[in-house]
Amino acid sequence: MAERKRLLELRGVAKSFGGLACLHDLDLHVDEGEIVSVIGPNGAGKTTLFNVITGVYPPDGGEILLDGESLVGLEPHQVTNRGVARTFQTLRLFLNMSVRENVMAVQYGRTKATVLESMLRLPRARREDREIRRRAEEKLSFFGQRLVGYRWDQPAYSLSYANRRRLEIARAMATEPRILLLDEPAAGMNPSETHEITELIGKLRAEGGYTILVIEHDMHVVEGISDRVVALDHGVKIAEGTFDAVATDPRVIEAYLGLQKAKTK
Amino acid sequence: MSEGLRPDQPRIGVDEWVSSVEEKREQYRGPVGWLRRRWDEAPPWARVLVFFVPAAIFPLVTTEGNLFRYGLITLIYALLGLGLNVTVGFAGLLDLGYIAFFGFGAYTYGFLASGHSGRHWVAELAIPVAIAVAALVGLIVGFPSRRLVGDYLAIVTLFFGQAFVVFVNNANRIDFPFIGHTDLTGGSNGLDNIDPLNVFGWLVNTTKEYYWFTLGAFTLVMVLLYFISESRTGRAWKALREDPLAAEVMSMPVNRLKLLAFIFGAAVAGFAGAIYGAVQTGAFPGDFDVGLLITVYAIVILGGAGSLAGVIIGALVVNGVPELLRDPNEAEWVFYTAIVLLVFVKLRPWRRLAVVALGTLALGFVLHALADGVWERGTSGSAGEGALAHWVSHWMLLPSHPTQFGNWGFALLIAAILVLTLIHGWWRTILMIPTIWLAAFAWENLLVQQTAGATRFLLLGALLVVLMNARPQGLFGTARVEIV
Repeated sequence: MAERKRLLELRGVAKSFGGLACLHDLDLHVDEGEIVSVIGPNGAGKTTLFNVITGVYPPDGGEILLDGESLVGLEPHQVTNRGVARTFQTLRLFLNMSVRENVMAVQYGRTKATVLESMLRLPRARREDREIRRRAEEKLSFFGQRLVGYRWDQPAYSLSYANRRRLEIARAMATEPRILLLDEPAAGMNPSETHEITELIGKLRAEGGYTILVIEHDMHVVEGISDRVVALDHGVKIAEGTFDAVATDPRVIEAYLGLQKAKTK
Repeated sequence: MSEGLRPDQPRIGVDEWVSSVEEKREQYRGPVGWLRRRWDEAPPWARVLVFFVPAAIFPLVTTEGNLFRYGLITLIYALLGLGLNVTVGFAGLLDLGYIAFFGFGAYTYGFLASGHSGRHWVAELAIPVAIAVAALVGLIVGFPSRRLVGDYLAIVTLFFGQAFVVFVNNANRIDFPFIGHTDLTGGSNGLDNIDPLNVFGWLVNTTKEYYWFTLGAFTLVMVLLYFISESRTGRAWKALREDPLAAEVMSMPVNRLKLLAFIFGAAVAGFAGAIYGAVQTGAFPGDFDVGLLITVYAIVILGGAGSLAGVIIGALVVNGVPELLRDPNEAEWVFYTAIVLLVFVKLRPWRRLAVVALGTLALGFVLHALADGVWERGTSGSAGEGALAHWVSHWMLLPSHPTQFGNWGFALLIAAILVLTLIHGWWRTILMIPTIWLAAFAWENLLVQQTAGATRFLLLGALLVVLMNARPQGLFGTARVEIV
């Protein structure tokens, strides 16, 4: 594989809550245009990793670089404006806003009209508003039949679970990110929907041009999408490489299944 | 993806939820449904006109001075409600110090233009300064509390509201270094002799002129706030109300947006306060206490938090109903209409409705006939003037010592209502008959005599309870849904 630009790079990142070390001296990188999966048993620190990258928690130590520039110490909204967008494992949509408004609201960081300009409907505010609306519809159209036009004006709570997951992805896309962080996009989906998500993630890279870091438990999805897989356990990277290499790594198997009886004796 | 979806495949993602929402919308039939659909379809300017035109015609068709006064106070409260709607309705910040901003507006205007202070600024300068001062105070209060949410914010702002009352009560004898003894607020006697508004040479003097001015101000603020609510800032406010963490992670600077909501609410309140000060020709500490705070919250919540149209309806109900109830004859009509409506709307199936309606009528006539035979005094009282009262005197027991029996009836009525909430089925239906009869008894013998006092507030309270039970989201609000 040709040498590609490092888009996101973590060096020696650590985060602990009280005495519990959730991330310990973690190195990780995602190259431009790459899809990297993070796997690991529950409590391995995967979601904490996302929270640290997006600035929800400040890291205790280490460096987080987006295209060479540090993200450490930035507020979450500033991190998003630099080009990092995420979805949530437990869905966090703006439930009582319409589908379209969900996708429009998150373009706040991409627009500049002041509240006075909006209040008086000055030209820039009107121009931006048209642009926001157009972009929202463009992002929603990405999902084809699943989030079609007549749904756009319905409240987000009226969507099915799978559609709410899709809307979260559309919302993340609308912040115009360079890298998408997807937190268990296939969680709670049935096999057919899971299959769809796998295809969708591929399409996100092929057509949307996004670099993607994804947390996933479903090994079929991981196998289907990943260029590279990183396995975490207790906040430590225990394996990295192709899916086949990681899936057969004895330390990964140990982390998921425990030590084999024969070995312990 | 969906491109390969064949019609015979199971339609995953096509959910029943959506269709059920659609069905609910379809259920609104008849005139109410027609109105609902027209309202939903109407463009924003048409909705503004729906309120503006009747409000503008109102002074032309009435001549009574008192009505203007009610209209004017209603408008000022509605303007106050608009500001609170920004902080509470849009951004979801529970601000219990809101009335202090209203007070800052009134006192600032009074400080700049009154016989008390000796300054006589024109309104086109004094009002913007009052708005700016209120907004600045909003910033100062909002800044340390911007990281607080929910109950904690409520406690801090409530403290601020109370501190304001204490401040204006005592700010007539502050010793400033270099300046010396200063009277800012007139203390507990209030800041009196406030000038009438003098806007670009137009001296606003009569109540009618104030009405026009406030109507203009209200419409202007409503339109501006509507524009904001439909802008990136308005959407961001709603987003942070829904989920502050998601909003922050999705590129919205939550702390700054909260401050902005605080400032806007405060500025609108300051504007309303300046007008109020000029209308009252004075600012008094007691006007800016918790009572008014509760009234404004009632307006916003009743109308539906987050809805601009709801604020108007809320202000009309909260201000209008007590005025309507002031006159015993009108109050009587309101009372019986409310009871009949309640019974007809709430009682289903029709068999129960028939039992209750006929049962109540029969109970009244039977008791009346019995009393005629054995208890002369029981029907010797008077029900007052008018056709309705005349009819009622043939149905209801009207003892010659109405208050004494009325008190008993009232106590029994409360007990009956409490029991009603505990039982179900046919027992409830049957108990409703004496309960309604008792309500009418208490009304005729006790409440109707005090319509100018306690009764109208009692009824307003009852009305609010009923309305909020019927539509918890407020009259114009949309029901908030949480998914767990």
